[in-house]
Order: sequence, then C-alpha cells, then structure tokens
Amino acid sequence: MSRDPGRGSTARDFDAGIFFAGIARGGAGALLFALPMLMTMEMWELGFYMDRARLLILMVLNIPLLIVLSDRVGFEETTTWSQATRDASVAYCLGIAASGLILMAMGVLRSDQAPHEVIGMIAVQAVPASIGAMLGRSQLGGQADDKDANGEDPTHERETSYAGELFLMAVGALFLNLNVAPTEEMILLSYKMSPWHAILIIVASLALMHGFVYALSFRGSHDLAEGTPGWHAFVRFTIPGYVIAGLISAFCLWTFHRTDDVGTTQVLMMIVILSFPGAIGAAAARLIL
Amino acid sequence: MTKSTTDADLETSKPHWIEWATGAISAAIVLVVIGWIAKDALTDRSTSPDLYGSVLQVEARSNGYQVLFEIRNGSSQTASQVTVRGELMEDSKSIEAAETVIDYVPGVSKAKSGIIFQNNPEGKTISIRAISFNEP
Repeated sequence: MSRDPGRGSTARDFDAGIFFAGIARGGAGALLFALPMLMTMEMWELGFYMDRARLLILMVLNIPLLIVLSDRVGFEETTTWSQATRDASVAYCLGIAASGLILMAMGVLRSDQAPHEVIGMIAVQAVPASIGAMLGRSQLGGQADDKDANGEDPTHERETSYAGELFLMAVGALFLNLNVAPTEEMILLSYKMSPWHAILIIVASLALMHGFVYALSFRGSHDLAEGTPGWHAFVRFTIPGYVIAGLISAFCLWTFHRTDDVGTTQVLMMIVILSFPGAIGAAAARLIL
Repeated sequence: MTKSTTDADLETSKPHWIEWATGAISAAIVLVVIGWIAKDALTDRSTSPDLYGSVLQVEARSNGYQVLFEIRNGSSQTASQVTVRGELMEDSKSIEAAETVIDYVPGVSKAKSGIIFQNNPEGKTISIRAISFNEP
C-alpha cells in the first residue's frame, strides 16, 4: 500500500506486489473465517428477518472494532490512526465483497430477490468476514516482508496493555461466538441442559481458559513472573476474560433475536453455553494475536 | 501489563489496581450468575411445561382475519413443537378452527404466533390452546 514518506509514516514506497498480496491475504482471511457462517442457513434467514436497528448496531460497532484491531494486528504495520482507519475500511469492503460473491456463487443470492433481503444477507455476513480479512494478515502473513531487521514479527514485539489483553479476548470470543450464535443448536442445548449442567459448564470454561493460557505450553503461552501466585492471573485475566466472553455472548444472542420473550434463567443458560466456545476463543486469542 | 516477545509472555508482578478491581467485579458477576442458576437448580421441581394461550390482537387482513396470540409457559421446562389450536366459537359451537406449530416455548417465557380465520371473529369467542408438545 502506498505511503507518503513526507508524513513520516514509513520509508517503504508503493509496491504493487505487496499491495495485491495484502489484498489477497485479506480475501483469504475473510474466506477462512467466514465460510462456516456463509454456509449456515440461519445466517441467510437472519439477513431478511433481523431487526434493522440491531443489524445497524452490529455494523456500526464493527467499525471501531476493525480500527483497533487494525492498529494491533491488521494487514500491515500501522503507525497512525488514519492508516488504521484506512486498513479497517479496506477490510470491511473485502468482507462485503467476499460475502456477496460467495453467497451469489452458492446460489443463495438470486437476482429476483428484493434489495432489502440482498443487503441484509450481505451485511450480516460482512461483519465476520471483515474481521477475518483483518486477521488474515496476522494469521496467514508474517512472511519476510513483515519482519523487521531482527527477523521478528513487529506485531509480537510490543507490550500489551491490560486493556489490550481484554480487547483481544473480546475479539477471540466474538469470533467463535459469531460462528455458533445464529444456529438453533445453541438454544436447543440451553433447553436440554439442567441448571447443574450450566454450573458445570461455567467451571469447565474457566478451567479451560486458564489452562489454555498458563498451564499448557503452547507457543505464545504466558508465564507468571517469579513468585506470583497462580490465582493472581486467574483473578486479573481469566475471570474478566470469562465475563467479557459472557457479555459478547449476550450481545450476539440479542442481536440474533435469540433472547426475545425468553425468561431470565433461560437467557442465562444460553449465555453460559455460548460462552463455552467464547471462552476458548478468548483464551486462544491471547496466544495467537 | 503483559510483556510480549516471541518467547513466552511474562506477566508483570506489580499490576495496576484497576486490574484487581476488574477482577473483583468480574468474580462478583460470575458468582451472581452461578448463584442464580444454583437457586433454580435447588428450588425448581417442575417436570413438565405448563402452557396457556391468550389472544393479543385481531386484525382484518387481505386473506381473512388474522389473530395474533401468545403462548406462555409457566413452568421452567421448555416445550418444543407446540401445536396450538385456535377455534372460533359462537354460542359454544365451533364454527372454524386453525392450527399452527411453534418451534419452542422456553421455560418461564412466551412465544408469539398467528392464525388466520375466514369468518369475522367480532362478537364471537376465540379459544387458543396448546394441544400437544415435545420435550426438546
């Protein structure tokens, strides 16, 4: 992508190869992350029956999410917010284009459909696809042109603030949640579970989250400083991460009309079951991003 | 703060008080959720759904008279595939009936649905009741 050296951004000049490689990675990321949703029947249906106010909230909230994500991971190193905003809009556009093309290729979108349906179906799919496009670089990229002089990926070389860690957990939770929240299985599971099952799921989610980040020796896993008791990290990171996964689950369920007219306990059970993949996603995001 | 390098990340040993505050509030939220669900687990003894219907709205539409109703479930047990029969009664005689199936009526919740009559329900009684259900 073109950068103006006069503004002191970077010294790299426009290189068509790098530019198109970035776009292709974004498109690949959109496909990788959004295909499960593009092939989910409930997501097509949501496109036409979803309340437009909720769809609007989802689409508008996606903008700051993409900008912050672009600042942290994204197609390429960004040093200013205007660059992050530019990359975020490219990712959003790639998400919309990829969703539209795939839905058309699969015969889900047809020319005789009302514009209301077409726009709705593309819009709801564009949100996960755009996040996928943004993550495309950090997950599929990281090749020679991204490494700095020390051969290290620049995105992994910064200090992550506490808020940054929580944000990454939210993105991870949102990602896995968006995959499963629209499906009928989520509400069906919450109806099949007894309250005891729900409590077991809460405990299991917390244990898995903590284990993912601290106990298992994955690449990118976190070590505690010498002499810090294990429960410190549990209180400061795992529990807030679980609550964030729960809030994201609640937002997804509300957006997809799963909580309408449903009693409090049933809503809590839905949130608990949806937070299970959300918690895993949140933990994984801390390792991967 | 977490220092990220390509090696394992190291949590700093002197966290800001905000991190502890966030942790404490989060722990409280998790405990409230567990407490709420545990209360239900310990006190609730319902074994089957309790379904009852009520008419919300009657409107003339292009293909007849549309009756919008809701089915409430008073029990904590969810019912699925709830078949609802609506009857139009005049002088305790049924003059028209219509049926619909609702996917789920969750525990202590309600579900809305609609049926369409050919006869004008004005001055007549509409009876809405669930006639069958499945366990999810």
